[in-house]
Amino acid sequence: MELIRRLLDLLFGADPELRQIIAVTLRMSSLSTLISTLIGVPLGILLGENDFKAKGLVTRVVTTLMGLPPVVAGLIVFLILSRSGPLGSLRLLYSVTAMVIAQVVLITPIIIGLTSNLVSLRAASINETCAGLGINGSKRLWYTLLECRIPFISTMLAGFGRAIAEVGAVQMVGGNIQFKTRVMTTAIMMQTNMGQFEFAIALGVVLLMLSFVINSLVYRVQEWDNRD
Amino acid sequence: MIELRAVTVTIAGKTLLSIPTLSFEAGVRYGIIGENGSGKTTLLRILAGTLLPITGSIHGINRQTIRYLPQAPYAFNLSVRRNVAMALPGLENAQELVDRALRRVGMEALAEKRGNRLSGGEAQRMSLARVLLTPCEVLLLDEPTSATDIRGMDQVEQVLKDYIQETGCTLIFSTHSPAQALRLADRVVYLEQGQVVETGPAEQVLRHPRDDRTCNFLRHWQLDVNNHTV
Repeated sequence: MELIRRLLDLLFGADPELRQIIAVTLRMSSLSTLISTLIGVPLGILLGENDFKAKGLVTRVVTTLMGLPPVVAGLIVFLILSRSGPLGSLRLLYSVTAMVIAQVVLITPIIIGLTSNLVSLRAASINETCAGLGINGSKRLWYTLLECRIPFISTMLAGFGRAIAEVGAVQMVGGNIQFKTRVMTTAIMMQTNMGQFEFAIALGVVLLMLSFVINSLVYRVQEWDNRD
Repeated sequence: MIELRAVTVTIAGKTLLSIPTLSFEAGVRYGIIGENGSGKTTLLRILAGTLLPITGSIHGINRQTIRYLPQAPYAFNLSVRRNVAMALPGLENAQELVDRALRRVGMEALAEKRGNRLSGGEAQRMSLARVLLTPCEVLLLDEPTSATDIRGMDQVEQVLKDYIQETGCTLIFSTHSPAQALRLADRVVYLEQGQVVETGPAEQVLRHPRDDRTCNFLRHWQLDVNNHTV
């Protein structure tokens, strides 16, 4: 009972650290998802719509990167942003910006891969139908986007889900600094290691609730789209 | 007049179409008949410009004035009304044209239904309404009634006859049904294994074929041309 009372206190009380952690997590995940979507959707459409010689190779590379281990992404971004790295002068290491960059590296291939699959399933038929109606160029692209609008939202939310649950890369480049770069996953890891299970469980509950809200949103959007 | 010269289409080492010469006169209705895989769709695709021939050339075609209905047209996840209107950019009387097109194919009651929820026959009629929305010079139809029932087929054929009478366009359509070719076409082109076997007036090719391969195809389909039934 004591554990539950303390959990409720943490969740609905005025703990500044918990609020800060949730805010940083949401800011980082939203920004990285937005940037990944802006990069990944156009590239995914290009890959899905067009046939070119190296398409098989590019698709295999993207598929491989979709399963990129977070610590590898974290290591790459760490080496680039570290003092001796090519972007070391920007002094971005151990900042939310560095964490966003690492997440963009992780999520963008997922968005490209899923978008490419979505588009390639429909592209041939849409292109032929549009060509037959004299619809070309940007207008055809608009209809492809319009047709894939609901799956695109699901793709974006899949990216957000990956971002919010990720721990390895953000730990490496963010450093888990209190009131600065600490996010829910890194905080759960740290609190568990310290034996502070109430705080870790409270964060876990918040993470699950956020995941439930996101899935409910996807469900509602799909339900709305399936209406007659 | 549209003219194909020395056209060859080869995909993955297989020759899908090989036509030394073939022409289509303006304002004439052509029926392309042949078995599955005979090259009907490939021929329509190269005319529509959605497939490029490996060799040869096509003359006398202005792709801006062509309308093409593929064998499996895409029904967008939009209302039937919006599906039909998509080929009409910013015309003042767009609504009126769409309503008229839907009435033509008997789809006015389904105007608000989603395109991707239609049955095969309904989707085919909606796609036909979309392609016939505005006048064109050349109308290419790939098996326009393959998913419709007999009643729907009669309706579609009447719609096509009315449209052609109104616009005076050239019609080139593919069909598995020699009887439909006889009803709709002035001239028939019989394809086999990507080659033109016989071409001529519909009555002549379908009732008195000269080539043994055409005879065999018509016998195979058990065509009773005298009764105009499949």
